[in-house]
Amino acid sequence: MILSSPKVMIKKTMIKTALILGISSVFTGPVLADYPQRPISLVIPFGTGGPTDISARALARTLSDKVPKPIVIVNQTGGGGAVGSVTVAHARGDGYKMLAARTGSQSVSLAMKSNMPYTLADFKFVGIYELNPVVCVTNSNSGITTMKQLIDLVNSKPKTVSFSSAGVGALQHLAGVMVLNAFGVENPLETAIHLPMNGGGAAATAVLNGTATFECANSSSVAGFIKNGQMTPLMVATKERVEGIDAPTVAELGHPELEKLVGWTGIAGPKSLSNESVDAWEKWLKVTTSDAGFVETMTKLGSQVVYMGPEESFDFIQSQYLDFRTIVEKLDMQIN
Amino acid sequence: MNFLDTLLEALSLVTQSGSILALAIGVVVGVVCGAIPGMSATMAVALTLPFTFALEPVVGILLLLGVYKGGIFGGSIPAILIKTPGTPASSATILDGYPMAEKGQAGKALGMALYASCTADIISNLALILFAGWLASFAMGFGPPEFFTLMVFSLMIIAGISGNQLMKGLVSAALGLLLATVGLDLVYGTDRFIMGNVNLMGGLNFIVVLIGLFALPEIITFAMSPSDKHGKVRQLGGTHVTFQEYKSCFRTIFRGGVIGAVLGSIPGIGAAPAAFLSYSEARRKSPNKDNFGKGEIEGVAASEAGNNGVCGSTLIPLLALGIPGDVVTAIIIGAFMVHGIQPGPLLFQDHGSLVYALFMGLILSSVFLLFFGSFAIRIFKYIADVPKSILLPAVLILCVFGSYAINNSMFDVMVMFALGWLGYFLMRLEMPAAPFLIAFILGPLLEDNFRQSMLMSNGSLDILFRGWITWGFWTLSAITLFCLIKSHWDTKKTSAAKKRVLETEPAS
Repeated sequence: MILSSPKVMIKKTMIKTALILGISSVFTGPVLADYPQRPISLVIPFGTGGPTDISARALARTLSDKVPKPIVIVNQTGGGGAVGSVTVAHARGDGYKMLAARTGSQSVSLAMKSNMPYTLADFKFVGIYELNPVVCVTNSNSGITTMKQLIDLVNSKPKTVSFSSAGVGALQHLAGVMVLNAFGVENPLETAIHLPMNGGGAAATAVLNGTATFECANSSSVAGFIKNGQMTPLMVATKERVEGIDAPTVAELGHPELEKLVGWTGIAGPKSLSNESVDAWEKWLKVTTSDAGFVETMTKLGSQVVYMGPEESFDFIQSQYLDFRTIVEKLDMQIN
Repeated sequence: MNFLDTLLEALSLVTQSGSILALAIGVVVGVVCGAIPGMSATMAVALTLPFTFALEPVVGILLLLGVYKGGIFGGSIPAILIKTPGTPASSATILDGYPMAEKGQAGKALGMALYASCTADIISNLALILFAGWLASFAMGFGPPEFFTLMVFSLMIIAGISGNQLMKGLVSAALGLLLATVGLDLVYGTDRFIMGNVNLMGGLNFIVVLIGLFALPEIITFAMSPSDKHGKVRQLGGTHVTFQEYKSCFRTIFRGGVIGAVLGSIPGIGAAPAAFLSYSEARRKSPNKDNFGKGEIEGVAASEAGNNGVCGSTLIPLLALGIPGDVVTAIIIGAFMVHGIQPGPLLFQDHGSLVYALFMGLILSSVFLLFFGSFAIRIFKYIADVPKSILLPAVLILCVFGSYAINNSMFDVMVMFALGWLGYFLMRLEMPAAPFLIAFILGPLLEDNFRQSMLMSNGSLDILFRGWITWGFWTLSAITLFCLIKSHWDTKKTSAAKKRVLETEPAS
């Protein structure tokens, strides 16, 4: 054969096309849904090794055999979670860029800082999968074992009691102020000293080496120190007692309004997120939060695995944000 | 169970094939990841963590420790060969490592980096095993005022590294301090110099600044006048470290290892300041003082001993108190907790065999590091023989990739290029870049700890003189300052005398 006739050429092209289509269909596997068709990036707005990072990586690992496409973890740090959050807020709503949302970046910072480059309305939450109760602790050598002793000390010796936090606008910062205020300290920011440290680990260390008198932090970051007897828990900001932490609840102490103080991790997309992606994530989170291995891992890390759907999550975050906003305005804690 | 039983049980935990394999794999993964710019030791450890959930506690933790140690050493490979540190900890290694590679002694520099790393590693491990309790209580004495005085002392390094060009060094350091102020204010939470750009809210990334400042100026210079003439000089990449050289550097390595071990036990300092402190101490004490920064093997030994000296002792606050001293140990604590083990004072009672198994594993890891490290050097040192016209474009790609990979941000790539030009102009003005970098690392620590101290004391400066640790650092700072002024005076005198001699000679 010297020259192929046009007919043969067409036939060849058709075969080629068929082959390509065939191969591609082999690679994509049986088409179940339109989402996801390619890997999904999960942006963690905090550094590698932090509590959000470890929690989101554990989630992604459990999801790996439940999601047909890989979930790629992307750490984008900076500005207390602002840099990573804003990337997702500005992303397309096709569900290929999602955010590991967290108390600090999605509720406390928003309530305290006027300079945040996003608002709650910029996100669509697909669910919350982890809760961290807040515990107030002191150094075991400090001699302070109850909230009453702490408050008395604050009132009798103003400007001597200090509390540490992971930084301005972190949960520990607001929590310390809220707790003192709820227990009757008129102007917590004047009578007690807020010590911003570089991160949650440094905040716990400050209590351990006596730099700070107390801190109100996520249970996961202090549970070990309590277990070892290095820190004394004064109260837990929950309705019911927390296992392994021998301290009264805020309900027992008569301050149920402090139950709003709780850390959480959830998944969010930009506000334009397609319904299809929301449904898919809702399903995945539901399966993951009932996965025995995942629950075990998270519990050992000091967290409570929960499942909250899209609406429930949004209501939860919104009401926490509004509560925080009220206290920030009341105590004039706004940061410009 | 008596002590011997615990030891025997620990031995059986370590000698099982899984543990040994995990350590070996860990070290290899660490060296490779550390050698890739933009993949820091921290990232490598974080990526390894999920694999440890399914493993036995000892095996999993040994895997992570292997990655960590390998990563810290691995970072020195690109620092020496292409002036781009693989991890922040190896930034001090550039100062003498790269000039050595330029002189054709890449093999020697890499070899010394490895031997110094392994030696300091062993010192650090011994510090952990023998002095854990003592060092932990020392570390607990470190509040913000103590940190502040330590930083004051450390900033004296700038004067040491600038050498005879103190003025230029100080200008460079001031620029570094200026750029370090970008980002969020620690105490008030307000924005500083972010110029409305969200990407600047977190400040400038350390590794991005590092890559821009050191690696790019080389590439820009080469692009301005491309030639392969250096290729010939660099072809001697196959030189080795002699035992004599190791012996002459041993004092420096030992000192670096001890500095690293002590600083490593204090939470929140990290490997980079330890490396710089070890470097400046070595320079101060060395007979080859003037050769530092120009390719002095002792400089490489000092900085690598300083940064690897941190590795073992960061486990002191972790195991003895349950406090993670840096990001890596924060990840390792996660691995403990997943298995329901709580590090802290009770660990030695409850899980004695695990602790001793870790100690044995750590000693073993130094041996593995020596073995796999020398293998890695044998492969990597040929990079030194690649002509610049091929090497530098490849390095440029690595710089861009590395800057992007840290935070997955194009903005960081632009920052890297901007700092590259800054670094280039610093180079043209013969201003040393190292003071810039040191100020950039230590400046924020100095400021934050000062302000935290002031918060603690309601503005009274007395707090900066509390306790013997602060007094100790003030005294050290005063001595260093005195020596500096004296040596500056002496060199001025001798150079003036020389000048006079030169002026009078032709007349006579």
